[in-house]
Amino acid sequence: MDFGFLQNLATGFGAALSFNNLGFALMGCLLGTLIGVLPGIGPIPTIAMLLPITFGLDPLSSLIMLAGIYYGAQYGGSTTSILVNIPGEASSIVTCIDGHQMAKQGRAGVALGVAALGSFFAGCVGTVFIAAFGPPLASIAQEFNAPENFSLMLLGLVTAVVLAHGSVIKAIGMVLVGLLFGLVGTDVNSGLTRYTFGVSELWDGIDFLPLVIGMFGIVEIVRNLERGTLPRAQIYTGLRELWPSVQDFKDSWRAVLRGTGLGSILGILPGGGAVLAAFASYTVEKKLAADPSRFGKGAIEGVAGPESANNAAAQTSFIPLLTLGLPSNAIMALMMGAMIIHGIQPGSAVMTKRPDLFWGMVASMWIGNLMLLVINFPLIGIWVRLLSVPYRLLYPAILLFCVIGIYATNTNIAQLVMTAVFALFGYILVKFECEPAPLVLGFILGPLMEENLRRALVISRGDPKIFLESWISIVLLALTVLVIVLIVLPQIRKSREQAFQE
Amino acid sequence: MVRVRSPQDLGAGAVFVTIGAAGLYFGQDLAFGSSARMGPGYFPTILSYLIIAIGLVLAVKSLATDGPPIERFSFRPLFAILAAILAFGFLIERIGLALTAAVLTVGSAYARRDVNLKETLLLAAGLALFVVGVFVYGLTQPLPAWWGR
Repeated sequence: MDFGFLQNLATGFGAALSFNNLGFALMGCLLGTLIGVLPGIGPIPTIAMLLPITFGLDPLSSLIMLAGIYYGAQYGGSTTSILVNIPGEASSIVTCIDGHQMAKQGRAGVALGVAALGSFFAGCVGTVFIAAFGPPLASIAQEFNAPENFSLMLLGLVTAVVLAHGSVIKAIGMVLVGLLFGLVGTDVNSGLTRYTFGVSELWDGIDFLPLVIGMFGIVEIVRNLERGTLPRAQIYTGLRELWPSVQDFKDSWRAVLRGTGLGSILGILPGGGAVLAAFASYTVEKKLAADPSRFGKGAIEGVAGPESANNAAAQTSFIPLLTLGLPSNAIMALMMGAMIIHGIQPGSAVMTKRPDLFWGMVASMWIGNLMLLVINFPLIGIWVRLLSVPYRLLYPAILLFCVIGIYATNTNIAQLVMTAVFALFGYILVKFECEPAPLVLGFILGPLMEENLRRALVISRGDPKIFLESWISIVLLALTVLVIVLIVLPQIRKSREQAFQE
Repeated sequence: MVRVRSPQDLGAGAVFVTIGAAGLYFGQDLAFGSSARMGPGYFPTILSYLIIAIGLVLAVKSLATDGPPIERFSFRPLFAILAAILAFGFLIERIGLALTAAVLTVGSAYARRDVNLKETLLLAAGLALFVVGVFVYGLTQPLPAWWGR
């Protein structure tokens, strides 16, 4: 094994530990937790809303801040799950089960403490994972040409669809619509504009911010409003003791280890990420437990395992993005969108051309995790008080911040009109049970897929056999076919549904 | 008589077919080219056909399998929020951030039925002060604080 990555990590810490960057990491974690803790707002809308404030920074600082926002949002979501039993998003559904029971038994503090400690441990392991596996993967990716890139994106999209919850057919449809939306604007090859309807604002393509804030942030607000009164936080006693007891440590350390392992591996898979990791970890803990009946009644392993798993996966899901340029889930698509706005095309080239950026970000992930631990123990009381602010006072503020964020990035009113259009579109789709996340993945990958397909076919003069001429491409396509076969097999579909119901 | 057994699938199918058809219609002037020399219309056309195919599969599925009904559309929150967003865009350059923020707050409050006007006005004033302080003076965003700057 090559220990050169330690040297690289040192460079990264050098870049990330500057006073400014530490400040941005802290601010990101704080803001992420602040928004993420609000009931009914998951990590995706949180990141979408906070994206604009990172645009004015230099690329490294902005990525550091974004990563901080991401971890903060995720941790904030766990807090809401435990205290109010409202999961911000799918990855914290499992935390609700036992976490909220613990809160009811007066052990909310311990649940939050275990979640924070487990997440921190998982975050550390995840960071080392990225540092160790990033460079070898990136050197494989350097061998990639147009055909391999196309096959890789195909595999990524297909896997993402399978692992998204809800109907597979609808998810495929949403990916395709996203790809089509991604093509709006000037075609780089011919210089012609496509689907711009004479609107000059569309010449550069559909803007990322109005799309994600409209479809996630605004739709979320409308959905919360139509659901009527959100349950107010019931603050149970026992918040004062955050530090788990010796017995709690004994009960949970194995779960943390297993969750971290599972999460680190599952996070790398396209479409995997935090959700799958949390579900898998909960299932494993329940299977391995001496007395499975404790689960659902406040078993500490049921919090420690999934919370570690989703944080480990949150880390390692950066691997495909940073090394292959492939966002493995909607959150990574947001990160990729942000990087593109800064003029960085994620992929293996980042590591070779901007090592400070790559390693600085890896280092900042660890710093972000440490900050979460540091800020959450003293600040938990504030988050709890925030939870008890009624939604009727919160949503106008959230809406206002979204709108200012969109408008201030380029002071163009067309952006707001587009936000409204995408909000309407997203709302209609939600009514038909179509998840917007696959659309964002397609949207980000649309232009890249077209360009790689075009280049591959130019090389082969239109012969599609070029995709079967390199072993990398063959393996990727074989995996794609395998995944499709797995969806079609009804047995597997059934167990997949079960897994999501559990 | 054909019976729709899964309305959500039918709705989603209709959305997809519409998008695919729009993709074909508005992309008809884009040259398709050939596989060796993909024109600007090549990829969009293929995508549009695939989207239509997915839409049709969903439509057939909606007749064949049972599914949950479509949840009721709540027009009040939807339109109040959308109107607030558009109003912000219309007003910001005309009357500045402070008043626009207040208008947006009050307008979006009417997304709910039982509005407490006094509370809402207080919130509007508070938010207006806050965002002017943070965004205009703190973060020096390119936003006018008042009308005529």
